[in-house]
Amino acid sequence: MRRLRRFFRTPEAIAGALILGLLVAMALAAPLLFPGDPQAIAGPALLPPFQDWSLPLGTDRLGRDMLAELFHGARTSLAVGLAAAAAALLIGAVVGTLAGFAGGLIDEVLMRISDAFQTVPSFLLALAFVSIVGPSLGVVVAAITLGVWTGPARVARAEVLSIRERDYVAGARVIGMHPLEIAFREVLPNALPPVLALSSVIVAAAILTEAALSFLGLGDPNRVTWGGMIAEGRAVLRTAPYLSIVPGIALVLAVLGVYLAGEGVVESTAVRRSLP
Amino acid sequence: MTVLAVSKLSKRYRRGGKPLAAVDDVSFEIGPAETLALAGPSGSGKSTIARLVLRLLEPDAGRIEFEGADFLSLSGATLRARRARLQMVFQDPLAAFNPRATVARVLDDPLRIHGIASRAERPRRIAALLERVGLDAGLAARAIHEISGGQRQRVAIARAIATQPSLIVLDEAVSALDVSVRGQILELLLDLQRQERISYLFISHDLGVIRAVAHRVVILDAGRVAESGEARAVIDNPQSTIGKALVAATPKLNRNTPP
Ligand SMILES: Nc1ncnc2c1ncn2[C@@H]1O[C@H](COP(=O)(O)OP(=O)(O)OP(=O)(O)O)[C@@H](O)[C@H]1O
Ligand SMILES: [Mg+2]
Repeated sequence: MRRLRRFFRTPEAIAGALILGLLVAMALAAPLLFPGDPQAIAGPALLPPFQDWSLPLGTDRLGRDMLAELFHGARTSLAVGLAAAAAALLIGAVVGTLAGFAGGLIDEVLMRISDAFQTVPSFLLALAFVSIVGPSLGVVVAAITLGVWTGPARVARAEVLSIRERDYVAGARVIGMHPLEIAFREVLPNALPPVLALSSVIVAAAILTEAALSFLGLGDPNRVTWGGMIAEGRAVLRTAPYLSIVPGIALVLAVLGVYLAGEGVVESTAVRRSLP
Repeated sequence: MTVLAVSKLSKRYRRGGKPLAAVDDVSFEIGPAETLALAGPSGSGKSTIARLVLRLLEPDAGRIEFEGADFLSLSGATLRARRARLQMVFQDPLAAFNPRATVARVLDDPLRIHGIASRAERPRRIAALLERVGLDAGLAARAIHEISGGQRQRVAIARAIATQPSLIVLDEAVSALDVSVRGQILELLLDLQRQERISYLFISHDLGVIRAVAHRVVILDAGRVAESGEARAVIDNPQSTIGKALVAATPKLNRNTPP
């Protein structure tokens, strides 16, 4: 409760929470407010916003409802962002814990693999992966995860390296606990806080990467995505700029909201060092 | 019959390129229900010996025989199983436990790992262990940071005796405690030794405590044995320079012992 109050003390955190709340509400409400296929023709093509109140944001080149697309796009963005971040945090935490706890050859091998992933720009990695395997939601999530799991892995490893020298880990060995149980039950949970602090940055990056892939036509073709909408509008950028601007604003707000809310959480959980 | 026989044990650390002999050719034995104390100035290698004996650290040379068998040749599951008989109590009772643990979980782990009691039976065993070390069984549900330092050290002792060991290594196990609490914990340790015939490798820099609880003492200096013998005889009349210095540095001791 006190933590919640501390969270809402900064205006950035409030703004972040509001935007994030709106994003989640849009994603959840999409199938209720706009049942049926958001990619179906709903009216005349290239209807500008605020002309017809049954199509408040107008229609695109094919006459599809922009508002419906925006809502369903929120669903895709959020789903991909959360799934990729969850996968990256899980893989990173497990790999980092194994490397840090086992040390020696295992550490060397895992960290060289992580280096290899880190030297390739994560967007190129995602691009290459999707081009080879083919675009679908699962593949996009996997492709994004490939580029971002190394961050959590490094943070987890550094944390585990300091934790494994503590007396309680020696104590666990003395009572005969299996090394894997020590690593994952005794050490990993205590190494998690700094790893979880990365989650907002990773979700934000994942949403952006998904949009970029969709923009290049490498998103799941069966789903509406904001990146795809921006790409769609590009052809008529002069005559109907709103087609790109509306999803563009949504994307910027979503990334900003996730980032600000994440910072707010980190700030409110961090120990306050100086008095105000 | 000896419980633990350590011979010619050596361990070097490399510090900034040049090797440092933390433990150098150290030998000693501990018999059943015997307390052997390790004394010596800071950095003389006491904790290193404790970690070597517990296989938390691997020696460069030497032998460790535990309950008549070579302890250094064990590895993997055999070593883990053998650990039931050789336990440890740490100096800082807060650092010795997972900060997220509860008292019950701390005591449940050794019982589960060594298959000492079935899941259904374990709560009763945990309550019995708590009572054995003079704690209320109701403490089981508490988080480890919700009990006092003295209570925590009793929990540490309860965990150590859960697997019925023949030897417990105590590295400065009473040093962090208040004088009154220290007396109670020492009393508990002596009582356990009388009842269960547990041997102790008792590490302390307090010669007064060593004189009171240990049968024999080994005095270390820079990783080597400076002198050893019957605890009272050595402390009342030290022969080595380091022994004399340690005794001189313990004022209370000087007053109690006539020259
Ligand atoms: N991990 C390590 N790396 C390098 N040197 C170490 C390490 N651990 C201990 N040493 C050194 O080995 C020597 C013996 O240390 P040890 O901890 O065994 O001493 P101690 O007798 O327990 O001292 P204290 O009474 O202060 O606890 C010291 O010189 C110490 O600096
Ligand atoms: Mg020490």
